Amino acid sequence: MALTETRPEADEAANAVADGPQPPSAIERLIGSGDHLTVGRLYVGFGLFFTALAALGLALSGVDGLSDDGLLGLTPALASSSLVALVVMGVMPTLLGLGIYIVPRQVASPAIAFPRAAAFSLWTWLVAGGIFLTGVALDGGIGGPDPEGSRLASLSMGAMMIALSLGSICVATTVLSHRPLGMGLAKVPFFSWSMLVAAPVWILTFASATAHVALAQIAQFDAAGIAAGFETGIAWFLRVPSIYMIAIPVLGIAADVVAVAAGRRIRSYGVVQGLIAAYAIASFGAWTQTDRALQTFLFAVVAVLAVLPMLALLGGLGDTLRRGRPALSTALLGSLLAPLLVLGAALAGAMQVIDFAGSGTIWDLQPAMITGAQTVFLVGAAACGAIAGLAHWSRRLWGAPAPEGPGRGGVTAVFLGAGLVATIHLLQAFLARGGESGLDAAAFNAIVAVGALLLALGALSGLAMAVGAARIGVDAPDADDEHAMTLEWYPPGPVLAGTELAGLEVVRSPYPLADLRGDTDEEDDR
Amino acid sequence: MSDTSTLTAPTTTPSAAPAAASTSPPPHLPRRRELLFGTAFATAGVVMALATLIGTYVATRDATGAAWLEGNNIPLTQPNMQLLTLGMSVVTMQWAVFSINRDDRPHTFLALGVTILLGAAFVNQTTFLYREVGLAMTQPEGPLFYAVTAGHLAMVAAGIAFILLMAFRALGGQFSSRHPDGISAAAVFWYAACALYGVIWFAVYIQK
Repeated sequence: MALTETRPEADEAANAVADGPQPPSAIERLIGSGDHLTVGRLYVGFGLFFTALAALGLALSGVDGLSDDGLLGLTPALASSSLVALVVMGVMPTLLGLGIYIVPRQVASPAIAFPRAAAFSLWTWLVAGGIFLTGVALDGGIGGPDPEGSRLASLSMGAMMIALSLGSICVATTVLSHRPLGMGLAKVPFFSWSMLVAAPVWILTFASATAHVALAQIAQFDAAGIAAGFETGIAWFLRVPSIYMIAIPVLGIAADVVAVAAGRRIRSYGVVQGLIAAYAIASFGAWTQTDRALQTFLFAVVAVLAVLPMLALLGGLGDTLRRGRPALSTALLGSLLAPLLVLGAALAGAMQVIDFAGSGTIWDLQPAMITGAQTVFLVGAAACGAIAGLAHWSRRLWGAPAPEGPGRGGVTAVFLGAGLVATIHLLQAFLARGGESGLDAAAFNAIVAVGALLLALGALSGLAMAVGAARIGVDAPDADDEHAMTLEWYPPGPVLAGTELAGLEVVRSPYPLADLRGDTDEEDDR
Repeated sequence: MSDTSTLTAPTTTPSAAPAAASTSPPPHLPRRRELLFGTAFATAGVVMALATLIGTYVATRDATGAAWLEGNNIPLTQPNMQLLTLGMSVVTMQWAVFSINRDDRPHTFLALGVTILLGAAFVNQTTFLYREVGLAMTQPEGPLFYAVTAGHLAMVAAGIAFILLMAFRALGGQFSSRHPDGISAAAVFWYAACALYGVIWFAVYIQK
């Protein structure tokens, strides 16, 4: 063969190239996907995993505190880092992932707005989460002694906040610009509505916190400076009223779940939307960054009265349940337990307000304890709501119903675990007021460890529920919910209970699928 | 709300697609106002971040008292000219929005070009001002001063890039009176940058 001739194997290679590029591998497809279904599932899966991991970190910090000199020799920053991780690595991404998956379906859109931005938000968040964990492992974290570790954790926390903001922009824009004909904002499903009103609050809150992160980086603070900067400029988002924001989507989930569980439309739809919006507005707390703001009348109003929309919503949901015959599913259990935890946070907020009433403080409550209680109450509420939402939309997310055992177990464990950790913080804040000794440190830390472990187990149960449904869903025939009312059950799912879905061209009520079936509450109520 | 989508399920199967090609509906325009809404949310976040920095700057300056920027002189000529420059750019940006809404493409490109030029002039004036002030990062005021002003400078630079990108897309025929969103979105971001400079001009340069 002359050197100028082409080798046979080269011909084959050339033919292979001529046949077209090799199809991307599964990993390449996963990383390069802008499909909101993939992005949403990944957010949910990693969010639940990180919730469990952060709760485990909190449990370990409790075990470490059983001895005065540190039983396990862990970094003292583990507890505060775990609280931050529970919020920005755990429950908020889980709820955002649910939104990225479900919201486009609820507004009958084939895709999310800015799909590449949604994918970018996922991968930025995931990488930043890994860097945050590295920072904690380097003895840094939030308030840790290592300067490089602290800087890494601070910077990655800011990156996660930006990523979550970007994801919420995609979801909110989907609700605003992808709605079908006839679906005015007054007819948007509750979960989509709650994501829409949550987005501005999340964006503004995280933007303000990220500004302080940037300032700490520009000023090249050392570890102590970063810790002080966190306390004065960022920690406010972990206390009321700001921390209420992580539970805004839970209200939407609860309203959607209750309507389907009861098989009844929620009356006064606009009023319920208004209640969710009022709760969201009350949860905007960037203005409470200074200590002076905590002693204003406005702080007292929003810290306590944010609970009023929640109570009114519970009343509306109770009325809907009363008119139907609901079965106690995972989704319904989570939807009912989550608001109770929000009420717990409101109680903690009320104690803080009373403490700050007048000049100085009345009880001199420990700020770290009261803030810890508020954070954990709302983390629990958000986790309960997230598991409820995952169970409710399991057939859409994974193709099969969620196994009830892990689901109910998960919701119950999260409720008990978060309730226990938060209540003991609240109790300690009160008992240790004014410099009193309060509960024995070992007993306090032991209870925190047990509660946090329950919280971790609950999150893992939620993850097991999702994995279980996904495994069933691989071979399961298409399944729909015959009581479905909103459009996430429409395309591309199968025909619903014999209904001719193609005939639905204009949305005429918040419950278009119920309209198609001809379901009216008046007939049902007779 | 979208004016292009309905809930009607697609009826064309892949095998029937070639036959139906001649009767298929015209391609849909992109979702109406999608970019506008997305930009509005992002702009709100950027404004909030800069507002937080400005608030921190003012609070720290008030706490420091007369010693704040004692060793530095901030001239007012450049800040005033910068304000005037950005003020003019608001007019030219609105000129671009007005023109694209009337399919007046030459004026759209002219207006966008002038806006970019004014933005570049602002960047140039800021760098000149930095040299005039001579504030070092090692000074106590340094990090906050540069966080506020350079943060805003970055916003203006991002605005210029945004306008440039939208101008290229308009050049490619993607925007018209039926779909002016890209130009409008760039305008929202630009107006926010200009308004923020008004706050910075007063809080940082006038009040010193």
